[in-house]
Amino acid sequence: MQFLKELWRRLRWLASRSRFESELADEIRFHIESRAEELEQSGVSRADAMACARREFGSRLKAAEDTSGAWQVQWLEDLFSDLRYAARALRRNPAFALTAIFCLALGIGANTTIFNITTSFLFSEPSCRDSASLVSIWEGGNSASSLADYEFVRDARIFEGMAGINVEREVNWRDGDRTRRFYAGVVTDDFFSTLQIPFLLGRGIAPGETNTAVLSYRVWRSVFAADPAILGRKLILEGQVYVVAGVLPANHRSVAGFGISPEVYLPVSHSEDYLQFYARLPKGTNLSIARERLRSVFAQLDRIQPKDGWKRTDAVRVSGVTGFDVLNQMMPGAVTAFFAMLLIVVGLVLLIACTNVASLLLARASSRSHELAIRLSLGASRRRIVRHLLAESLLISVLGAVAGLAINLACADVIRNLTLPVPIPLQLVVLPDWRLLWYAFAIVLASALLCGLLPALQAVRRDVNDALKQEEHQTGRKWDVRGVLVAGQLAVSIVLLATGFLFVHNLLRATTLNPGFDIHHTIWAYVRLVPDKYKDPLQAKQMSLIHTALEQIRALPGVEAAAITRGVPLNSNCVTGTSLRTDISPTLVHAEYQCNNVGPDYFRTFAIPILRGREFSSGDRKDSEAVAVVNETFARTLFGNINPVGHSIATEFPNDKAKMIVGVVKDSKYFTLSEKQRLAVYEPYFALDEPINLHFVIRTTGSPAAFAKPITDLLGRLDSSAAIEAKPMSAALGLALLPSQAGAVMLGSMGALGLVLAAIGLYGVLLYSVSRRIREIGLRMALGATPGDVLRVIFRQSLILMGSGMGAGLLLALFAMQPLALFLVPGLSTLDSTAFLAVIGVLAAVALLAALGPAARALRVDPMVALRYE
Amino acid sequence: MPEESPQLLPGTLYMLVLRTLAAGPLHGYAIARRIKQCSANVLDVEEGSLYPSLNRMLLKGWLKAEWGTSETNRKARFYRLTKEGQKQLASEADEFERLITAIQLVMKTA
Repeated sequence: MQFLKELWRRLRWLASRSRFESELADEIRFHIESRAEELEQSGVSRADAMACARREFGSRLKAAEDTSGAWQVQWLEDLFSDLRYAARALRRNPAFALTAIFCLALGIGANTTIFNITTSFLFSEPSCRDSASLVSIWEGGNSASSLADYEFVRDARIFEGMAGINVEREVNWRDGDRTRRFYAGVVTDDFFSTLQIPFLLGRGIAPGETNTAVLSYRVWRSVFAADPAILGRKLILEGQVYVVAGVLPANHRSVAGFGISPEVYLPVSHSEDYLQFYARLPKGTNLSIARERLRSVFAQLDRIQPKDGWKRTDAVRVSGVTGFDVLNQMMPGAVTAFFAMLLIVVGLVLLIACTNVASLLLARASSRSHELAIRLSLGASRRRIVRHLLAESLLISVLGAVAGLAINLACADVIRNLTLPVPIPLQLVVLPDWRLLWYAFAIVLASALLCGLLPALQAVRRDVNDALKQEEHQTGRKWDVRGVLVAGQLAVSIVLLATGFLFVHNLLRATTLNPGFDIHHTIWAYVRLVPDKYKDPLQAKQMSLIHTALEQIRALPGVEAAAITRGVPLNSNCVTGTSLRTDISPTLVHAEYQCNNVGPDYFRTFAIPILRGREFSSGDRKDSEAVAVVNETFARTLFGNINPVGHSIATEFPNDKAKMIVGVVKDSKYFTLSEKQRLAVYEPYFALDEPINLHFVIRTTGSPAAFAKPITDLLGRLDSSAAIEAKPMSAALGLALLPSQAGAVMLGSMGALGLVLAAIGLYGVLLYSVSRRIREIGLRMALGATPGDVLRVIFRQSLILMGSGMGAGLLLALFAMQPLALFLVPGLSTLDSTAFLAVIGVLAAVALLAALGPAARALRVDPMVALRYE
Repeated sequence: MPEESPQLLPGTLYMLVLRTLAAGPLHGYAIARRIKQCSANVLDVEEGSLYPSLNRMLLKGWLKAEWGTSETNRKARFYRLTKEGQKQLASEADEFERLITAIQLVMKTA
C-alpha cells in the first residue's frame, strides 16, 4: 500500500517535473535572501550579506539535483527512455513498424473478436441485478412447468423472490390493416421486480398488471422508428389492448442466455402456460439447501395434485444462470466443441502473427548487430540491451493491440446488427467487457515476450569482437532461425488453410445436398392464429379455416398440390425417444425417431416418393383407426425385410393405441442437412388433439416465389387477425445451413488470414535474404551468371522453405484435423483430397508471388555497386 | 573563530525537522533557524541536505507543502506535518530516547 502511494506521488512528480524544478529554484532563492536579510540586520552591507549567504548555502545546483534525486525512480525512468528510444527507432523505419503492427493487429483483432463471440454466446451474463444469486429451477427434470405449480412454489416463500418466463411464445400485432408476428416472452408479473432488469425507457411489467408490454430495443428501433413517445402507446396484441410500459436497452441480455431475445414481453395470461422458473437465493443459503427445501415443497404438491407417471420431486435441479452452470446443462457438446476449435484456430493465427513480428525483429536485430556491438563494447550491460529491445517489441505489441481492438470494435458492430436467418429470436449482444480487456492485455504481454525475447537474446549472444570486425557478412548456414520460423509458420498456415477449405467444401456440399424433398417447386406459408379466437372444444372453427384455406389454395392457377403440416422439415425439430413394440415380435425396442403430423397430399407436395402403401387421406382422423406412415430406415430398423404395411406399432404405455402402418416413404432430412439418417414416423394431421400452428406447404408448377403474394393475400382474407408469412422452401434453409455457413465463414476467413500473414512472413524472409546476399549476387553476375541463374537461386530458396513447411504442415493437418469430422456433412471426410489439393495450389501460387518482389530486387543488383562494398 | 558545530547524528535530521514542525507549519529557512536556535547554536543544519530530506519526507507522506506568505511578506513554501508524520515523530522520538538512555548508561557505568 505504502509502495503504491509512493509510486503515485512519484508519478505525479514526473508529470509536473518542470514546475517542480522552477519552484525549487524559487525556494532556494527565498532561503538565501532570508539569510542575507538577517545578516544585513546585524550591520553587514547588502552586497556582502548576499555573498555570504550564497557561500553558506553551497552549491545550489547540487542541492537542486539531490532534491530531485529524492523523487526519481530508476526503473521507471529507464522504461520511459527505452520506450522513447523505441518509438524513435520505429519512426525511423516505418515500413518495418507498420508491417509488424499490421500483423499483430490482424492477429489480436481476430482473437478478441472470436473470444468476444464465444463469451457472449456461451457465457453471457443476464442483464439483471446480482446475477450470482439468481438460480434456475427444474421441476421433475423439466425445464418448464405450469403456472399453477409456479404459484404454489412462489407462495411457499422459500426464496427471496421468484420469476417465471416462457421465451418461446409468439403474438400477433394488429398494425392498421396489417398483422405482424412478434417473438414474445410471457412473464409472471413479479418477473421484472425480482430480476431488477435495467431499462432504457420506462419500467417493467409491475405486479398486478395484466395489460402492459415491454419492447426490446431492436423492435423499438426497427418497427417503431425509435419513437421517443412510445411509452403509454396502445398496441393491439392478440386482439387485446396492451400499453407499452418500457423499452429494454440495446445491450440487454435475456436470462435465457445463448442470445435468445424475445421481441416483446407480455404478462402471462393463460393458466395452461408453461414457464421456466427462476428464483433469488436468500442470503446465507446455498444451492443444496435450496434444493432440499424445494424438494419438500414439490413433495407437498405431489400429495395434493399427483402427476400421472412422474413425480415433481424427481431430478429437481437448482443451478446458477451464468458461466459453466448454464453451459453444462443446456448446450449441445458439438456447439461448445465448435467454439473451442475456433479459439484454437485464432490462437494459431495469432501465433503466425507473432512469428512474423519475431522474424522482422530478428532481421532488424541482425542488421543492427554492429550498433549493438558498439553499445556493448562501450559498457552497456547485456541486461540493459535486452530490456531495450524488449521495450521495442512491447511498444509494437501495445500499438498492435490498440489497432486490433479497433478492428474488434468494428467487427462487434457488424455482428450486433446481424439478423440470423433462423426461426428463433437470436441476437448476440457482442460488447467489449472486462474479460475482453484482460484477454487483450494477456495477449499483448504474451506477444511482446514471444516476439521480442528470441531476437533480443540472439542479439546479445553474439561475440562483440566478431560483430565489430565483420560488417554484416552472410552467415554460411542455410537454416537460420528465421528460416525455421517461416517454415513453421507455413506449416501452421497449411493446417488453418486446409481447415478453412474443408469447411468451405462442407458448405458447398451442404447447399447442394439433396434434402430428400423438393425445395425448388414448393412454398411454405405459416399462418399464426390468435389462440383466443379459436377456442371451442372441438376446434371446429380452426378445422373449417384449414379446409377453406386448402380448397382456395388448390384452386389457384399454377398450384399443383397443397397440404397442411404441424412441422416444416429443416425448420422445426420433434424427436421422440421411447420403447416400441411391433406386432411381429414381443420384444420392446428402444427407438429415437423424428415425428410429425401431416395432412393429405403432404408427400405428393414435397415429392417424397411413397415406396409402399399409401399416404394419408382425409379419412384419417381422430375418430378413425390410428395409422402411421414410416420412413425406410424406420421400416428396416424395426421390421427388417418384412413389408411393414398392414403391421402395427405400439409404445410401451398401455393407454396408447397401436398404430397401423399404412405406408413407407423414402428417407429425407428432418432437422439438419448434416444429420445422419434418422428414423421417422408420420401421423395424420387431423388426428391431433389441438392443432395450433398452421403450416401450409404448396407445390407450384412455375417458380414458387411468384406465389408468395397471392397466397398471403388469400390467407389474410380468411382471418385478418392472423399473421401470415409465406416464402419459397429454398429460402427457408437458413437454420439448416447455419452451422455449415458459420463454419465456412469463420474458418474460411481464419484460413485466409493465416495465409496472408504467412505470405508476409515468407516475403519478408526472402527479401531480407536477398538484401544480405547482394554482394554474392553481384559477384555471381560479374562472373557471368545470367539473370535466369540469379532467379533460380531466389526461387530455389522460396521452394525449399515452402516445401519443408508444406511437408510438415500436411503431416500435421492429417492428424490435427481428425476431430473435425464431428462438424461435417455425411460423406465428407477430414482427409478431403479436394481441400488438400486446393491448399497445395494456393500455397504454391503464394510462394511464387512472395518470391517475385525479392527476385526483382535481385535482378536490379548492379555488380559494380555491389562489389564496391568490399 | 567559533567552534565547529558537531555533525548531526545520522538519521536524526528527519526527527528534528518533524519535531520543529510539530508546533505549526514553517518554511525551509525557518526550520533551519529554529533548529539552530533551539540547540543554542550548536546544531547547524546544512542547507545542501535540508531540501533533499524535506522532499524525501514529502515522498513518504509525512509532510505536505503549500505556498504561503512569509513573515517578511514574501512568497515561501511552508511545510506542514501530516497524521503519518506525527506518528513517525512519536515512534522516532521514542526510539531515540531509548538509544540515548542506553548510551548514557554505558558511558557512566562502564
